[in-house]
Amino acid sequence: MYGNVKTAELVSLRIDGTEISVPSNTSVIEAAEAVGVLVPRYCYHPGIPSRPAQCRVCLVEIEGQPKLQPSCNISVQEGMVVHTASEEARSARRSVIELLLVNHPLDCPICDAAGQCMLQDYAFETRQLASRLNEEKLVMGRDRIAEDILYFADRCIICTRCVRFMREVAEDDALIVAQRGYRAYIDTFPGAVLDNPFRGNIVDVCPVGALVHEDFLFKARFWDLDQTASVCPSCSTGCNVTIDTVENQIVRLKPRHNSEVNSYWMCDHGRKHLIMSNRGLRPEAPLLRRDGKLVPTGWGEALTWVAERLREVSRGMAIVSPHAANESLFYFRTLLDRIGIAGGTFRVEQGEEAILPGFPKLQLRADRAPNASGAELHGFERFDGGAHSDPGGDAVAVLEDPLGELPDEWGREASFFLYVGNRLSPAARNAHAILPVTTFAEMEGTFTNFEGRVQRFHQALQPAGLARPAWLVLARLVSLLEDGGDGGVAAPTLASEAFQVMVRATPAMADLEWASVGLKGARLGSTEAAVPHAQAPAEGA
Amino acid sequence: MSRRIHPSVAGAQPFQLAERDPEAPLFESAEGQERLQAVLSRYPTKQAALLPLLGYANELHGWVSKQDMESIAERLDLTPAYVWSVASFYTMYNKHPIGRHFIQVCTNISCHLNGAQRVLKRFLEETGTRPGETSEDGRYTVIEAECLGACGFATAVQINDEYHENVTPERVSQILAGLDGNGS
Amino acid sequence: MAYPYRDDRETTTVLSRHMGEPEARTLSGWLERGGYEALGTALEMEPDEITEIVKESGLRGRGGAGFPTGMKWGFMPKENGRAHYLCCNADESEPGAFKDREIMRWTPHLMIEGCLIAARAIRAGHVYIYVRGEFFPVVRVLNQAVVEAYEAGYIGRSVLGSGWSCDITVHLGAGAYIAGEETGLMSSLMGGRAEPWMKPPFPAARGIFGAPTTVNNVETLASVPGIVANGSAWYRQWGSDESPGTKLWCCSGHLVKPGNYELELGVPLSEIIYDVCGGAPDGKRVRAVIPGGSSTPFLTADELDCETTYEGMQAAGSSLGTASPIVMDESTCLLSAMRRIAQFYAHESCGQCVQCREGTEWIAKILRRIEDGDGEMKDIDTLYDLCEQLTGRTICVLADSVVFPLRSSLDKFRDEYESHIQQDACTAT
Ligand SMILES: Cc1cc2nc3c(=O)[nH]c(=O)nc-3n(C[C@H](O)[C@H](O)[C@H](O)COP(=O)(O)O)c2cc1C
Ligand code: SF4
Ligand code: SF4
Ligand code: SF4
Ligand code: FES
Ligand code: FES
Repeated sequence: MYGNVKTAELVSLRIDGTEISVPSNTSVIEAAEAVGVLVPRYCYHPGIPSRPAQCRVCLVEIEGQPKLQPSCNISVQEGMVVHTASEEARSARRSVIELLLVNHPLDCPICDAAGQCMLQDYAFETRQLASRLNEEKLVMGRDRIAEDILYFADRCIICTRCVRFMREVAEDDALIVAQRGYRAYIDTFPGAVLDNPFRGNIVDVCPVGALVHEDFLFKARFWDLDQTASVCPSCSTGCNVTIDTVENQIVRLKPRHNSEVNSYWMCDHGRKHLIMSNRGLRPEAPLLRRDGKLVPTGWGEALTWVAERLREVSRGMAIVSPHAANESLFYFRTLLDRIGIAGGTFRVEQGEEAILPGFPKLQLRADRAPNASGAELHGFERFDGGAHSDPGGDAVAVLEDPLGELPDEWGREASFFLYVGNRLSPAARNAHAILPVTTFAEMEGTFTNFEGRVQRFHQALQPAGLARPAWLVLARLVSLLEDGGDGGVAAPTLASEAFQVMVRATPAMADLEWASVGLKGARLGSTEAAVPHAQAPAEGA
Repeated sequence: MSRRIHPSVAGAQPFQLAERDPEAPLFESAEGQERLQAVLSRYPTKQAALLPLLGYANELHGWVSKQDMESIAERLDLTPAYVWSVASFYTMYNKHPIGRHFIQVCTNISCHLNGAQRVLKRFLEETGTRPGETSEDGRYTVIEAECLGACGFATAVQINDEYHENVTPERVSQILAGLDGNGS
Repeated sequence: MAYPYRDDRETTTVLSRHMGEPEARTLSGWLERGGYEALGTALEMEPDEITEIVKESGLRGRGGAGFPTGMKWGFMPKENGRAHYLCCNADESEPGAFKDREIMRWTPHLMIEGCLIAARAIRAGHVYIYVRGEFFPVVRVLNQAVVEAYEAGYIGRSVLGSGWSCDITVHLGAGAYIAGEETGLMSSLMGGRAEPWMKPPFPAARGIFGAPTTVNNVETLASVPGIVANGSAWYRQWGSDESPGTKLWCCSGHLVKPGNYELELGVPLSEIIYDVCGGAPDGKRVRAVIPGGSSTPFLTADELDCETTYEGMQAAGSSLGTASPIVMDESTCLLSAMRRIAQFYAHESCGQCVQCREGTEWIAKILRRIEDGDGEMKDIDTLYDLCEQLTGRTICVLADSVVFPLRSSLDKFRDEYESHIQQDACTAT
């Protein structure tokens, strides 16, 4: 965020009494953040290049300047002395809030942004909620900006973040300010709607509740949401996201800043795909085939039974999913090695690509899975040719591939069919044993993205029924096969332990540490892994 | 409009004319092409030709339609949305068809002091319209305007591309009669 | 046709000498009157010599701010070879002002000549004349003059065979006061909304199309040929040390002889209003004057004995602005006048800055409510507070512009506000 620290020259300045040295191309608002002072801001957004300095809420006093200066637009200078909270700066800020409330409906009780609104926040801060306005407020109504996005003009404060995101980051000049002065509003070309694949970000950058996703409308209040740091599983970019849940349901995904992966952004496919794909029948307890029928059992019995059967397997095939976590793939590989199945394949669903021109690293990639790289790293091969062939009379072990589009009788002849997964497709029902495992959202673990960045995700949901993380189930099986489960080989019980076992056993991952992967991830084979990243600036949106 | 226009002024033709042809093609004509090329030749960027071309659309059609904005956007490599953003900023590009006589009465301070409100009222009465509304016969649209830069000659009224100065309520009917003589 | 607004006292006519003479609009008529001689002189001078003369003359910008013109030109980079631009600001939209229009419609070649000389001084190869869109009759005259000058070789490739080339393009605005503010003008000229931008970058560093640019008012540029032809001492025979020269005065409102008069800077304002313009009609008394166009502070009838120089008007608590006194007689409801002015600024705010976008509209609403008889005494405090909030905090000074007349009217005519609020009655007679 401060540009290239090595080439920019450092300057020292004082902000609210604290000395700091920052690169000379830092703006005052950013420098203030570095000393822990969050100057209010509306038009400024760290991910949008332009600094129009138009909302005027970030005005600060700079000694020697006759007028207050917008801290977002002014670069630091050697010896500068900044007061962000002087009487005059505070009064200017208060007045901006008051003036914004002049025509603001104050419909916080029904506004989607309540609780995460930068107008509400500052209004409380400056104690301005009671507007002095005796006049009738302007009423402008709402408008459909995109198939899935509504615009509430009355709440809009014309900060133009949304317009500038589209223009400068998406490079699709399809959202604009129409009219001027107090009649100004945000608009598309008459009759058109935004169809850009990254449009959802305009909702995130909106500092108030003027832009809302229709499918989130009235679904939940901000303060009822549980938020979990995670990684988008819908393509191989692996955008860092926050998963918002209510009562164990995912209600939305929001991008989480990572300057190496997705900046402040994510694509609309990613926003929706997880929520939509999360439906379907889940196995909720281990199922074992007894007299031709799948019968639910407890984990202890199931694992012992499966371990017994696996001892008899010598030939067979393996299928994995690129949606499985690194740790699960690792333990699956370990298990396969143990029983003597080599190789194994995975299929990656393909889709159309889309690039975010203003941050070209962020692409909705053709590989619609988060961990194809991880699967490859653990010795599985990408398989592009149509459907998986029927194992015939051999054994088959499947990790998390839903076996969705296969014929109903697929695998019926197999000598042993182990299904470790979380979907009950017709083909999966042919298994001799179905071990229910969690989806990534129900567990902790890591994915490896398209460029070999290993990223952690956290548990956002309670597992369905008795489902457990695949790595846990597989590690138990391995230890049962090793020594009958007598404790000679301890199976890990924490994701961090599974991770440590994995990196120790996987040369390509040797320099990774659980802690340094942290919230920002780490690249395989780079020293970057050792450098913890600076925390992203707190972003109100 | 077949006379050749010098490129230096091609983008600056008065664009509120009494005679206009709402159906005329914007650029699919020899004149249109000539105007477009002449205007483009005067600026280092295509985008700078936007105001001149919006003016041209207004001049030709009497207003700027969605279709006009789309074809201008296409010629200048801009998005239609951008063109709409700019067009809507300025008050002189009519966003709807207007009457044959577009009557703009200045009510700003100097005219205000000299009875502009009464002049406005008289125009509305005599044309039987409300502000911004076009009379049923399509003849008149009367609006209140900001300072027309003729404050010493209050009240100033602009009708299409002509100024009428020192207008008093008493002169209104005479002015309207004069329009029907030559304007329609 | 005689120019109807000449002062019948002895007066200076530097800019307005040929106003009222239709033949002066044509190139031949203009040449007969000594036109383009100054251009010939300038073509023999080095750019910096021209700038130096203008600096010495003390000419100050006539667009409202009064910035010294020679100094502004001096900010332009001195190297040749890069594109430089001159914008002639002919967007004249300040309520009360109608001087640039008189220059353009009577003596367009004077302005063209000024543009060319200025362009040479600042090493510009292209001049854009940004004319406010409503000025159709003026534009017809101007366009014809530009085309004539092109055809005769005064504009274009190798001006008058000098080897120096300069183009002029006439560009029309489309109804936006803010396009007169110099950065707003540049945004508009580049095909955008006329939204002002934060300085820096200053136009001389980065103006239109990313290139060094100077923006000058029509009257400023029209003053240049005389200075170049006759020298700076000639120009300094008029006015004061800090405000030399002559100025067009746009007199409107309640006056016997409203109109446009050229006068030496420094003539007392009272003389302009009473002697030149004959005071208020029908024997009424003058109640208030906004001396420099609607964006300047009100003066009361007792404050008119001030010198009409930049410094003199400032000392009197107002400013010269565009030298456009708007005179209000004793029958004027000042509240209603102020409301109309505020309404204008609300209508013309570009809408970027919160203070300006919301504040101008709120002010207009409060004034309208008081005018409608629903005012409260606390509205006066709110208005004062808004004056505070709209001063010095926005990108451009449009927000400050409404504060000047508003605060001064509250200070000087508080009784008018109180009477409307408490008695729903006007203090006008
Ligand atoms: C809101 C606003 C409107 C303005 N309108 C005009 C105008 O119509 N014409 C003009 O010459 N200057 C206008 N100005 C002043 C210009 O910004 C600029 O100072 C001027 O054109 C510079 O020319 P000068 O130095 O020759 O005076 C305006 C300024 C503001 C803040
Ligand atoms: S919709 Fe939101 S982001 Fe866009 S201008 Fe309005 S307040 Fe700003
Ligand atoms: S680009 Fe890929 S990872 Fe990022 S949000 Fe879209 S689908 Fe998810
Ligand atoms: S002060 Fe007003 S006109 Fe000037 S930039 Fe700000 S909003 Fe626009
Ligand atoms: S955040 Fe600085 S002016 Fe808007
Ligand atoms: S106030 Fe009416 S023309 Fe200027």
